[in-house]
Amino acid sequence: MSPDVSNQSLLFLIVFVFVPLTLSYLYQLGMSKSIMWSSLRGTVQLFAIGYILTWLFDLPPVVGIPVMVSVMIVIATFHARNKGRELPHVFTVILIGLIVIEGIVLSLWIIFDMVEFKPSEVIPMSGMVIGNSMVAMGLALERMKSEFAENTGKLQAALSLGARPKQASHLIIRKTLNASLIPNIDKLKIIGLVQLPGMMTGLILGGVAPVMAIKYQLVISLSIFSAVSLSAMFVTLAMYRYFFNQQEQLLENEAQLEAQSKNRPSK
Amino acid sequence: MDVFRFERVTKAPLRNLNFSIQEKDKVMIFGPSGAGKSSLLFLFNRLSDPDEGVIYLQNQPIIDCPIPTLRKRVGLVLQAPHLFPGTVKDNIKYGPSLFGEWQEEQAEQLLDYVQLPMALLNRDVEDLSGGEKQRVSLARTLANSPDVLLLDEPTSSLDYRTAEEIEEVLECLSQEHRITLIMVTHNLKQAERLGDKGFFMMNGEIVESGDLQDLLYEPTTDALNRYLDE
Repeated sequence: MSPDVSNQSLLFLIVFVFVPLTLSYLYQLGMSKSIMWSSLRGTVQLFAIGYILTWLFDLPPVVGIPVMVSVMIVIATFHARNKGRELPHVFTVILIGLIVIEGIVLSLWIIFDMVEFKPSEVIPMSGMVIGNSMVAMGLALERMKSEFAENTGKLQAALSLGARPKQASHLIIRKTLNASLIPNIDKLKIIGLVQLPGMMTGLILGGVAPVMAIKYQLVISLSIFSAVSLSAMFVTLAMYRYFFNQQEQLLENEAQLEAQSKNRPSK
Repeated sequence: MDVFRFERVTKAPLRNLNFSIQEKDKVMIFGPSGAGKSSLLFLFNRLSDPDEGVIYLQNQPIIDCPIPTLRKRVGLVLQAPHLFPGTVKDNIKYGPSLFGEWQEEQAEQLLDYVQLPMALLNRDVEDLSGGEKQRVSLARTLANSPDVLLLDEPTSSLDYRTAEEIEEVLECLSQEHRITLIMVTHNLKQAERLGDKGFFMMNGEIVESGDLQDLLYEPTTDALNRYLDE
């Protein structure tokens, strides 16, 4: 297989768009417009990022890497904070979390010589770490909100027995972390058995030897595993306190949480 | 001596509450749904705070008392047991452990208070019946040795027989241990059996208060009259 797909071959990709378009037309799903729009938008976005990456890869690493990583972190922060918009300081917490986690992972890559400090290696791999961390933070926020809502009675019971917010939240924090980590543990267990991971597939298609591709895949898979664990833990431990006020009372609805945005969290 | 004194306390939906509760009182709070009974209960242990007015605990503003200490002294039993995952023992030692005060020998005494066999001590709370769960919830609150016990309709989700058994435990607690009881209930017969004072609440206000027998048999307001007729 050639690592390059010719422009002519790319044109035939339109066949893949015709399949869902035809289905939408035949079954009157009313989705034709969004199928066309998402296919077009995806194509333009990918080509645009391709040209941007080409430009970035030509820049000196100390310029190209920070610029692209910063852009990725900011976009990821905006996206993840939508899952907990009503919570105070959620943007700052996610932003700091992503910077710290990316910093740790990148440092380890460089220190242990797993990845070379050049844009063509750091940027795609950082993208995977930041993207997965973003999803993990969003999921942890959503899970934490639903756990707090479902366990109001238990939390009130714990507070009424003299528990501080941190002690009362222990159960919620444990459940949230558990729920965030289990899918990743499962994913790691079956890696390569059901589906070949994307990065490894890409490298093999690009002509890299499978064993070499696996080494890269291991670096990225374990880095993501660690980043996702850290993300869930960071956002959970940083945000649980905002579900209480300074008087160690549970805030039970969105209006109370939003009002809390203007105040300091409990101890 | 006043255990609690409310002065012009307002907290939506509660309005302008002025009353006092003495040591060892057994106060029954009753009234139609939405009257603000449970909201009132949460003010006693600062699970919520008033928007206006002052609450005194033994003549000191309640806000001067450290929150964990206040909540230890003023125990709350909720309508549903809301037990924590784990065993009966994990639940009843929760409060004392927070203050580093748990002693193993307490377990037997607490289960005895709530009339549960010691054999249940290491049973997972998921395996208990509704009545047993509510007793564990009561034992969990009593483990902190509170001076005041707040109860938010603790028997409303239980069948008649189990409710009666819980009632016996409460009666015994108030008579033998002379604890101050403040209980929200819809069951007037139960209120009569357990209480000596009453607050009739409606639309966030205490419409009538005083001796419970007087409230139940010689009401002075139309609102209470109508409520009792219903």
